[in-house]
Amino acid sequence: MFKKILIANRGEIAIRIMRACKELGIKTVAVYSDADKNSMHAQLADEAIHIGDSSPKQSYLNADVLIQAALASQADAIHPGYGFLSENASFAGTVDSAHLTFIGPSADSIRAMGDKAESKIRMKKAGVPTVPGFEGLESESDFKKAAEEIGYPVLVKAAAGGGGKGMRVVNQPEELHEAIESARGEASNAFGDDRLLVEKYVADAHHIEFQVFGDQHGHLVHLFERECSTQRRYQKIIEETPSPLLTPELRKQMGEAAVAAAKAVGYYNAGTIEFIFDPSLSTPALSGDEGFYFLEMNTRLQVEHPITELTTGIDLVQWQIRVAAGERFPYSQEQLTQRGHAIECRVYAEDPANGFFPSTGKLLQYIEPRGPGIRVDLGFRADDEVSHFYDPLLAKLIVFGESRETAIQKMQAALREFVAHGVTTNIDFMQDVLSHEDFTSGKVSTKWVENKFNWKPSTPTFESLIAASLADLTIVNRPSSIVNEHDPFSPWKNPNGFRN
Amino acid sequence: MKLIFDNTTLDLKPNGKSYIATFDGKTATVEILRAADGKLDLLIDGKRVIAYVSADNAKRWVTVDGRTFLLTKSSGAKRRGAGGDQASGLAAPMPGLVRSVNVVEGESVTKGQTLMVLEAMKMEIRIHAPMDGVVKSLAVKVGQTVEREQELIKVESQTSKD
Repeated sequence: MFKKILIANRGEIAIRIMRACKELGIKTVAVYSDADKNSMHAQLADEAIHIGDSSPKQSYLNADVLIQAALASQADAIHPGYGFLSENASFAGTVDSAHLTFIGPSADSIRAMGDKAESKIRMKKAGVPTVPGFEGLESESDFKKAAEEIGYPVLVKAAAGGGGKGMRVVNQPEELHEAIESARGEASNAFGDDRLLVEKYVADAHHIEFQVFGDQHGHLVHLFERECSTQRRYQKIIEETPSPLLTPELRKQMGEAAVAAAKAVGYYNAGTIEFIFDPSLSTPALSGDEGFYFLEMNTRLQVEHPITELTTGIDLVQWQIRVAAGERFPYSQEQLTQRGHAIECRVYAEDPANGFFPSTGKLLQYIEPRGPGIRVDLGFRADDEVSHFYDPLLAKLIVFGESRETAIQKMQAALREFVAHGVTTNIDFMQDVLSHEDFTSGKVSTKWVENKFNWKPSTPTFESLIAASLADLTIVNRPSSIVNEHDPFSPWKNPNGFRN
Repeated sequence: MKLIFDNTTLDLKPNGKSYIATFDGKTATVEILRAADGKLDLLIDGKRVIAYVSADNAKRWVTVDGRTFLLTKSSGAKRRGAGGDQASGLAAPMPGLVRSVNVVEGESVTKGQTLMVLEAMKMEIRIHAPMDGVVKSLAVKVGQTVEREQELIKVESQTSKD
């Protein structure tokens, strides 16, 4: 087993990984940028190494500096977390060449799945259903022909893509030119690779993904699905498991497809096979098509891994470390079961009433909910600064209930208890998503937030106005500059009534 | 004492040990049971209300009954009038980095044209010309960090001379 692990990440996921290391008796090394010098993750590790200025390119994306830090601190392995360099095959390769262990799959598996066009061809060969479409197109007339064959609407997307970048929906032939141009530009900027592919656009798609897990001895299983259809800008906000849409037969079919997909690239460690699921096609009697298609594989730990941990009882991060050290994963597919229902809400510093734009600032108050069945994976505390340099994920709120209904109720209660002041958050927004009948009936598809859910923040209540006007009675978080000694209404002039 | 939050006016009068609050035709008696550490424990018309409150200059963050509101306390100053000229200033919709500036001052632009590109976190935001016109002034440079609402560029609409 490893003696010391460097965590090449920040925020809640760095802390999550540190917890697993501590449980396994492994020392931890955190890395931090200028913006993160007071961050929680840098303070919780056994050692913390400064790796550069605030821009990710100069710090968390700087492979050389990270490897130097690992060597200097005598770490024997690097955990990349998610995002940043976690799906960068050349980073995984460089870690290996430095005689360190990369806690994740092989560089070859990352490379094979990183290219959307190439991975799609591999999946077809492995018998995994893929979205009807075409890869390797060059000229605009090729695209036009392909789009006509598939039938509009089509999706033009970057071959090297991910996270919604370099992706355009094309409803009619006239829009094709502009879509290709802009997707190319974005793809080239984001990935340094402007190759595009075109495929059928599933309008009312659900996003259902399967957790897979393998060791380095050829054993690979799936740990069931996660329904991640509540999204904005192609980014997930609420995930749950089990999916309210899958029948046991479909779950079995999709699980087998996920295992086949991962095995086709010789996968080991934790990974996720993402499927597009079209519920209108899920009755095989209506068509030969099962209605699920391979979308892509995330060759890393997923943000929403906790819901799988809660329903299967498997600590995915501990097992990532253990299989990276060469241990066998001891459970067969038949031994793995799902129990109860888990939901994750991603608490973001963003403004749902203003296009979900990130909100930055200092966290003036921060109180997370507690109680039975509630897990909070967090990376911030009160007084921390939420900067614009990184993803504005404040915390992941995860609940476990015996049924979907009780899990939703528990999540509602937990969100109501969550207090975050100083930045705008999506907490109220998520409460309203969870209580919407489309959510409770499992009808939320990936475009639902944008196209159907017309959310408005509630107007301030009488009680909230009273509280706001009495806010100055409590001195916490009040900058001294605004204390006005001459304010005749200042509560400090009236000592009655509010002594502790 | 009148307190103005955004467009809402609340009247709060001390009344012995409590307050009388009036808003939108409603009146309530407010008693403060405890006020400490950003938390107010109130009795509003006899009903127990817990409120979490934070202050940042004129801003008041309030969470009551699981809902959070951001209210801006007004000193009663008048609102600034709209600009009298035909120029339209475009502000950053989010904090971030100016990745590219595609126009120069004095350049003619057409409605919808991409003037500059901002980047923050996982997003790329294109700033488009709101109308046909001329770039009157550029307030930012490539590589610069901008705050939300910071002015980026002014575009002046082209007025016909005939």
